[in-house]
Amino acid sequence: MKTVSIAFLAALALPACASSQPTPQLVDARMAYARAQGSHANVVVPDRVLTAKQALDDAEEAHADAPGSFREANLAYIAERKALLAMAHAGIQMAERDRVSAEELHKERQQELRERAEKSLENTQDNLHSARQQIADQGSELVEKQRALTKAEQRAAAALASLEEVAKVKAESRGMVITLDGAVLFTTGKSELLPISREKLAHVAKALQELEDDQRVVVEGHTDSRGTDELNQALSQARADAVRSYLIEEGVDADMITAVGRGETQPLATNDTPEGRANNRRVEVIIKPSDKVAARQ
Amino acid sequence: MKMLLLKLGGVGLLAAACGSTAMPPPSMTEAQSSVRAAEAVGAESLPRGALHLKLARDGIEDAKRLIADDESEKAELVLERAEVDAELALALTYEAKARAEAQTALAEVRELGGTN
Repeated sequence: MKTVSIAFLAALALPACASSQPTPQLVDARMAYARAQGSHANVVVPDRVLTAKQALDDAEEAHADAPGSFREANLAYIAERKALLAMAHAGIQMAERDRVSAEELHKERQQELRERAEKSLENTQDNLHSARQQIADQGSELVEKQRALTKAEQRAAAALASLEEVAKVKAESRGMVITLDGAVLFTTGKSELLPISREKLAHVAKALQELEDDQRVVVEGHTDSRGTDELNQALSQARADAVRSYLIEEGVDADMITAVGRGETQPLATNDTPEGRANNRRVEVIIKPSDKVAARQ
Repeated sequence: MKMLLLKLGGVGLLAAACGSTAMPPPSMTEAQSSVRAAEAVGAESLPRGALHLKLARDGIEDAKRLIADDESEKAELVLERAEVDAELALALTYEAKARAEAQTALAEVRELGGTN
């Protein structure tokens, strides 16, 4: 309040001096206008800069009319404030523009991030989907394999069951053992198959054809202890070979079947009685356990 | 003729003011409402806003005194000054707010950029 009153006194005192010097307010107003004109305000709010210019013109006119007058000082003060006002409004508009463009940029970035996240989610979902598909495929493949294996086992079991009608079948640690009575297959001392034996061996061949591809079959020939070891060995081998040949003739894969003569080395019963010797004269068809079945258990 | 009428009007106004309670001139009302507008946006909280608000209020007080001293012409100039000070206080406050908002928006963009 006091400063304003002093300003008034000063302004009132000036005309008395009759000086042509501009009032300090007019000096300030000129400077403020020059700043406003040289600033962004001239571009952003030209109408306000023009208003400041008109206010300055009024102050200059007052100065020309009565230098240092109260009117000059006040109009110059107003002109200076109008120049400042123009700059303040330019500041508002520019800050507003900055804010709008920052917000637009913000939106763009958010959109970018969202798109990136969505893309990534999509990829993850695709990967998940194909992984699930793969698992499903593998699962059905496995089911298919198990089903095939089960069928094969069932066929083999059925074939073995039908075999039991014509031969003795026994599961042992060395495999499934089909024992054929020697007397039924061969004449004493010979290795030619008897006609009656062919029917039985046809059953065996049928059962063997149901086996897995990788299964091994061994045909073992056995004799009793009468005669020399060498003769018995040779006879048992010849008989095993004869049985093997016939089985192959009946359709069994030659690669899966081998023949071995065991001679009199592995008797099942005593060789001291006719019954015991009859039991020892035999041909065994041994089906080795399947690797596939073994692996599954 | 027009000037004469205005002068007569001015005399009439002064006569009425001297009669009983003084009727404030329209420029007084305008300056006062500009001060209130600046106060409403919180010009007081900004140093430059507070300065121009004070100058505007002082101007109004000076004008009142000038009116009482029969200096209505000077009072008009002082009121015009007061009004432009109040307007400046308001504009400076808006400017500070707009700049702060722009800064906040930019900071948000930078923050988002940082997560890339």
